[in-house]
Formats: sequence, C-alpha cells, structure tokens
Amino acid sequence: MTLSTIIARIVTLSMTSIFLENVVFDRAFSANVAIYASRKEAHVTGFTLGMTAMTTTASIVTYFIDKPMLSLEHGYYFLPLIYIGIIGVLYIAGLLILWKYFHKLYKQIRKYAHLAIFNCAVIGALFLNSVYGSDLPGYIGYGFGAGIGFFLACFFINIAQDQLNSTKIPRIFRGYPIMLIYIGIVSLALNVLTGYTADF
Amino acid sequence: MSNKRSSIFDGILKQNIVLMSGLVTAPIIVAATTGTRALVLVISFFMISYPTILLCRFIPRKIVYTVRTLLYAAVAAVMFIPTVILLEMWFPETTKSVLIYVELLVVNSLILAKTESRFYILPYGRMAVDALVYILGYAIAAFAVGIIRGLLAYGTLFGLRCFEPIMPAAKSPFFGFMLVGILAAICRGIAGRNSRARNINKAHSSDMRKEEAQ
Repeated sequence: MTLSTIIARIVTLSMTSIFLENVVFDRAFSANVAIYASRKEAHVTGFTLGMTAMTTTASIVTYFIDKPMLSLEHGYYFLPLIYIGIIGVLYIAGLLILWKYFHKLYKQIRKYAHLAIFNCAVIGALFLNSVYGSDLPGYIGYGFGAGIGFFLACFFINIAQDQLNSTKIPRIFRGYPIMLIYIGIVSLALNVLTGYTADF
Repeated sequence: MSNKRSSIFDGILKQNIVLMSGLVTAPIIVAATTGTRALVLVISFFMISYPTILLCRFIPRKIVYTVRTLLYAAVAAVMFIPTVILLEMWFPETTKSVLIYVELLVVNSLILAKTESRFYILPYGRMAVDALVYILGYAIAAFAVGIIRGLLAYGTLFGLRCFEPIMPAAKSPFFGFMLVGILAAICRGIAGRNSRARNINKAHSSDMRKEEAQ
C-alpha cells in the first residue's frame, strides 16, 4: 500500500464517519453530551479535542486487538471489557500527561474530561470500527472522523441555541425536547443529502 | 409521606432517564424500531445496569472518582457477557441487529452518573428500589417508542401484523429523534401539570388548616 493510497483511505473513511455515519446525527451516540457541550463554545473545542484524540488513539490500539479477538467464536463477548480497559488506560495516561506538563489546561478540563472520554461516542466508534473497519488506515480514518463528526454536531446545535431557547417556543418544548426535534431535522437533511439510511 | 412517595416514583415520570433527563437515548432513538427490539433493549438494560448498580455500591468511596468510574464500567462489561448469552438464546435475530447498542450500555449514564448523584446517597434497600423504578421509566420510554415506530414503519405489534405500513421512514434515526422529542415534551407537560396540581392542593390544604385554626 503506497502513501497516497493510505492517505486516500484515511480521508475517505473520515468523510464517511463525519457525514454518512455521523456519531450524533446518524447513530445518536452521545446526543446528550453534544447538547451539553454545545452550550459553551469553549466546551465544544475541549470536548472535540478530547474525543478526537481518544477515538483516534484508541482506534489504533483496537486494530491490533480486534483481529485476534474477532477470530474467536465468541470473542466479541469480551470486547466491551477490553475497550473499557484501553480507554481507561489512555484516559489516565492523558490526564497524567496534562497534569505534569500542562497543569493550567488540566485544571480547566478536569471537571468535564470524564464526560468527553467516557461516553457512547468514543466506545461506539470503536465498536463500529470492529464491524466495518478492515485495515489500519480505515481504523484511523473512522476514529478521527468520529471526533470531527461530533464537532460538526456540536457546531450545528451551538448555532441554533438562541433560537431553540427563545420564548417563542412553547414552554413544554423548550430545551431538551425541541433540541431533539432539531437534531432530527438536521439528521433528516443529512440523510437526504447523502441518500443514505442506517440499517435499523 | 407524600414527598417520600413522589421521590420513590421520580424515575418513572419526573426524572425519567430518557424523556426528562435525556440520558441513555441512543439505543431508543436508533434501535427501538419495533416492540420486540424495545423488549431486547429493556432486558439488556436491566441485566447490565441493575446488578452493576447493586455490586458497585461496595466499591469504596475513597477510590478517586476517575478510577471508580472505570470500575463501574468494567463491572458492567462483565455483566454484558451473561446478558448477551441469554439474549442470543431468547432472541437470536433481534439481538444480532441491535448488538452494538447493547454493547454501548456498559457506559450508560444510569451507571456512570446516576450512581454518584443519586443512588449511592440513599440507603441500600431504598437504592435497590429506586434503581428498579428508573429502569421501569426506561422501559416505558423504550416500549412507547418501539410500539409507535413498529406500528408506523412495519404495521406490526410485537411481530403481529396489524395493518399495512403507513410510514416506512419511522424506522429511521431522524424519526427517532423527533418522536423522543415529542414524547419528552408530553412527559414534561404531564409532570408540570401534576406538580401544579400538587402545589394547588398544598395551598388549598394550608388554607383549610388556617381556616380551622381561626
């Protein structure tokens, strides 16, 4: 496999993960985390960086574990336990690095770091990789795209915050219910745009 | 007493984990497209979350939060193994189609968030009941979504054909988002009306007491 083929594969899988199989709009992974993160622009950046770093790094590690585990007849029974272990080790290592070398940043993010790392989007990206991923560039592309896809979702929700929380919205719909309906409309738009429907 | 009773039933309506708190929504929004799928999700949610909540209570609070959370998820991942074995025996086809959403339940917010903010503050017996009520609340939301989408998208109710499908798009994730949003609004409306009625009753009984005292 040449370098250009590897890059092309990473870019293709990233695009698939961002637009076709967006973690929030298409899979509904961590929709609540996206709603929470989108309230503040600083949170959007922090969550996206944390998630993208974790999904990409964890995808690289899981590539080497998925093959032997999935070749076993009931290997997938143990995948959640293994993925939790991998995410846990990377999470603690990341926190230690931040604490040691970027103490100021560590203080800022420690309150919500667990929300950005321990959520359905991160572990869901790893499970999707185990189903659809075939080679290492594919795993990297899909993992990276999951984080960027989360950013796209947070961005779309963030720009509509004021309108969705306005007094023009009936009281019982204000906040979470209207947010879900809005995400549904964006999800519908992406489905129409790509002509793609998840197999559920 | 009335306060105590209302707090025991919080998980059904007032703090319904899906419709009011907006947690553990992914399986319901995407995978609960029929009554049978909703049933599989509810069984898996119960079998993974409930024993995990009961067992993790014994993890010492002295352990730092980060590691505690990891341990909760690890226990849930262990619970996933017997859960998936049983589900594959009972519902082989349905389990296969929703497996990824069953796997995701090992990091669900009932285990990672509600344990710390609610369950582990309560005495053990009360916590056991409270967690069950929350799971019941999840079941109500899952069945409501699964049954409505099953009827609209497939014209079936738990596999029984009722009529011709009238809205095949109801099985899509975007419809799941919209339906859960509408159900959340209805839930808020009911919870708001109940709390207003309680406030009126309280005000009424307080007026009565004042009148009696006079």
